Amino acid sequence: MFLLLITGLNQKIQLKIWILDIRMKLNTIQNILEEDKAKVRAILRNLGVNVPDAILGRVIDFFTIEPVDVEPTDIIKRMDHLLRTTETSVRGIIEGALPSIGRYERSLIESSLSIISALNIVYKVIRHYLITGERENNFILIMQLEYLMPQIMRIVQTYHEALESFTQGRPVGDGAGPLVVYNILEKSEVKSRKVIDDTSIIEAHYKGRRLILVKAEGPGSNVGHPGAVISKIIDELKGGVDLVITIDAALKLEGEETGSIAEGVGAAIGDPGPEKIAIERATSKYSIPLRAMIIKMDLKEAITTMRKEIYEACERTLSYIDKILEENTPPNATVIIAGIGNTMGIPG
Amino acid sequence: MFTMEIDITNIILIIAFIIIVIYLIYDSYARKPRKRVQVVRELLVCTSCKFTVEKDFEPGDFIGMIKGKCPSCGSNLKVKAIYAVEKK
Repeated sequence: MFLLLITGLNQKIQLKIWILDIRMKLNTIQNILEEDKAKVRAILRNLGVNVPDAILGRVIDFFTIEPVDVEPTDIIKRMDHLLRTTETSVRGIIEGALPSIGRYERSLIESSLSIISALNIVYKVIRHYLITGERENNFILIMQLEYLMPQIMRIVQTYHEALESFTQGRPVGDGAGPLVVYNILEKSEVKSRKVIDDTSIIEAHYKGRRLILVKAEGPGSNVGHPGAVISKIIDELKGGVDLVITIDAALKLEGEETGSIAEGVGAAIGDPGPEKIAIERATSKYSIPLRAMIIKMDLKEAITTMRKEIYEACERTLSYIDKILEENTPPNATVIIAGIGNTMGIPG
Repeated sequence: MFTMEIDITNIILIIAFIIIVIYLIYDSYARKPRKRVQVVRELLVCTSCKFTVEKDFEPGDFIGMIKGKCPSCGSNLKVKAIYAVEKK
């Protein structure tokens, strides 16, 4: 024991054990990645793509460089520009390879490819740190990696399971917001509908109020641009809106129950920034109250098929919305209700 | 040659070590979440008589889709919800 301690051999043995364990887990990630790639390749072949690897290779390694943040002036505008360019570029690659594909199928392919892209990044980053740590005999680096691996493996498994939902077009937990809006829509008297920026705008009458319902256009896999659209509506109405309510899925803390509902103030939207700030700016410009409703779930529940508990929570959310409308707006008021999230499997 | 003195302290230490190892093994198994097998179901509701029926999800179905006729009144059946439930 004394010999081991003074020569540092115990640490070397420990390092080798950790490296072996990380390598085994890395192999599991690689197998999952290859399995998912094969699944998407088969879908692309069924849609008529002869060389699916050409699209896979281009989209998987597609990257977006973050805007300069040491000079924050107009960073939101620059970020929005980069995000939209990414969206149109990836869409362009898919449409180029599959010119006759429908919007619904294209959206599912887009989302499936982004899942594989995420798995590929995880695989490459873990491999990078493992090789670096092994080469430099970096005990601390390998130790950190070893202790992070259970969490990383859970995320990888979640993405792997999410792929099935996305290839089959099933509603996911993140679709809670659009589902609530769809349920309101079903109970309202619809006056008009239009689509701007992949986002549906539906004017309807409900409980004596004029509602402007905003959600991503469904039933494809789409999150739309609710922030930009809400801002545009408020500007068009010159601030003539009595209340804005955003409804979104939110990550729960450990111990909290799936499907629990909470209400609050602010913009319930989890985008990198441009959409959220657009809502905040528009509502604060005209002093419109901004309310938020969240339906809680964990990451796995958010990106895999919607669980029954979340569906039931969406039904319960309607009564919360009714209460907010009654308490905060007079009859004939104009209210914007936005369902934020991926609308896959949910029309409107 | 190494000789080991068997006294009460050594015995207590060995027993404590074995108990800790058994506890750690049990704890790591107990903490492992059991794998949940889920099935995806869809809830169909009749547009007139509100008759409801739950069926297995079929790829391509979406909420609001008209899917078949109501067995009790013959009106359209609409997909009201698609969700995952634990397999019993």
